[in-house]
Amino acid sequence: MWKFILPLLFSFILYLPSYSCFADNDAATLLKKMDELFRSNSSISLMKMQIITPNWQRTLAMKSWTIGMDDTFIRVLSPRKDRGVATLKKDKEMWNFFPKINKVIKVPPSMMMGSWMGSDFTNDDLVREVSLVEEYQVSKSIEGDNYRLILVPKEETVTVWGKIEFIVNQKTLLPLEQSYYNEKGAKVRTMVFSNIKDFSGKKMPAVMTMIPLNKTGHKTIIEYVEAEFDVDLGDNVFTLRNLQTRF
Amino acid sequence: MPMLIVKLAFRNILRNRRRSLLTLLSMGGGFFLLCLTLSMSEGSYSNIINIFTQDHTGHVQIHKENYLERPSLYKTINHADEIIMQLAQHPLVLGVAPRIYSPSLAYGKQKTFPAQVIGIDPKREARTTRLEKKVKQGHYLINPRIKETHQPVYFPAMIGFSLAKNLQLSVGDELVLISQGIDGSIANDIFEVVAIVGDASSYERMNVYISLSAMRAFLSMPDDSSKVHELALILSNQNKAREFAANTQSRFNNKDLSVDPWQVVESSFYKSMQADKKGSYVSMGIIIFIVSIGVLNTILMGTLERTREFGVLKAIGTRPLAVFTLIMLESFVLAMISCLIGLVLALPICFWLASVGISMPEPIDMGGIIFDTMLGEVSWFVVLLPSIVVISSTLMVSFIPAIRAAKISPLKALQAV
Repeated sequence: MWKFILPLLFSFILYLPSYSCFADNDAATLLKKMDELFRSNSSISLMKMQIITPNWQRTLAMKSWTIGMDDTFIRVLSPRKDRGVATLKKDKEMWNFFPKINKVIKVPPSMMMGSWMGSDFTNDDLVREVSLVEEYQVSKSIEGDNYRLILVPKEETVTVWGKIEFIVNQKTLLPLEQSYYNEKGAKVRTMVFSNIKDFSGKKMPAVMTMIPLNKTGHKTIIEYVEAEFDVDLGDNVFTLRNLQTRF
Repeated sequence: MPMLIVKLAFRNILRNRRRSLLTLLSMGGGFFLLCLTLSMSEGSYSNIINIFTQDHTGHVQIHKENYLERPSLYKTINHADEIIMQLAQHPLVLGVAPRIYSPSLAYGKQKTFPAQVIGIDPKREARTTRLEKKVKQGHYLINPRIKETHQPVYFPAMIGFSLAKNLQLSVGDELVLISQGIDGSIANDIFEVVAIVGDASSYERMNVYISLSAMRAFLSMPDDSSKVHELALILSNQNKAREFAANTQSRFNNKDLSVDPWQVVESSFYKSMQADKKGSYVSMGIIIFIVSIGVLNTILMGTLERTREFGVLKAIGTRPLAVFTLIMLESFVLAMISCLIGLVLALPICFWLASVGISMPEPIDMGGIIFDTMLGEVSWFVVLLPSIVVISSTLMVSFIPAIRAAKISPLKALQAV
């Protein structure tokens, strides 16, 4: 009898690693949560962005509307000089509007990795063109109180990152840190999440600090002041007409 | 004894007046020729330098350290107003022009082109460079009035010829510029085209000129700090550029700022000019060679003719060294006199060339800068170099006949025909 059971047990132990596929599924769900953390199905939020560089620093206040992963609309509220500057991203296209010169300028795909309004966030970060779950292969490991998610781009994914790492708290399931690596495996920038707050019933980190590691003295801090989720936005928000509206 | 030799030398020169006169004419002619050639070549070069530096560069430029190698929006000269006031008091300085640079994207009616936007002080710029004279259409920039009404009044802008053509803009149209502000924001504004400057080949062809205050508003620079990227200076004489730059640099006592003469700022132009100059030195060398051959001929003939004389001198007991000194002295005196004659002949012509010049039937276009007159120059270099050439070549060619005469045996000399 044991002669049968032992090999069975043994093979069972051998196959144990394949259990990680369950764990990976788990990781994927966690990642989906990361994807939707700041967006949900739809969102309206008010945020402050502080950009710090060795030469200058400034703070922008802005309002953003999002639907799913595809559509984003952002309007700068202050400072006065930049009031009304707006960004619209719809599907794969992106436009900026400058009220002073009354011009809509399309952001070409080549500029997606360019800086948005002089910050350390790229146009791509802001509109999150890619869904992490769809574009990356994810694996999970446990590190003390936290999970470490390692994201490697799928073969067909077009990206500049060689690897993305998340550190997620086990209890709250909220991210603590997100690191971006280039193709050579060197860490290029880190985003730190802090100050967990309740936004209309949803707990999420209110402050995100982006630190590019290749530029000393540069830092961008985004702070969510207000956020509402799963609101009905109507059809008029994500249009070029709305982009050009003066308010 | 030395007095005797001097006396003898003068007597020898005056004795055969026709021979001396011919020698003088030949050597003086050489001097004259060399002096004029030098004057013309030096004159044309300094004329080119003057026209070139007054186009936009100026004679001396001041930047934040390293700006020339790696320009950046943030490499500014702070408290530029104080520096301008300080420099303007210097007697050599004719004009100081502050500038702010910002590479931008220019929007016309339909098209977009990259453009170099330059913030200038219109009055100071006009005193430093020829920008004002290059206005082809419209009027030169004036400092904008302070906006009294809340109506949007656009800042005036002058745009380069090619840019205007590419963007299909003319005087009175609106020009949209987009760039990066100094606070990281996206600088964007509408300007009114008030003038079109330059032509299709000039430096300004793709530039936009706006006033300093407009530029500061455009780039969100604080108005009071008087930051600029560049100070261009024009001096009363371009020859002083290097010296002035070095002096100013040491006077500033500020390691952050670098003061450079145009030779450094426009190093590629300067280097190609130096190469060109080297080429002209070759032809100058040929002229010097021809002049020395002429001198050699006259001196050699002069001593060969007098072989018997030297024989007599030796026969009555003159020492070889005395004969040698005598001949060298004669040549030297002749060379000096011929230089004087050449100078008297050449100077009026040089002065005329320097003031009036020869106008060229076909103007030469060098990088959009037009040269239409060949000008001469009068300087110590133009006068001294031919003198040195004539005197030293005379002494050199006299050396061999003088040694021959000193060594010759009286018997042989007296037998010579």
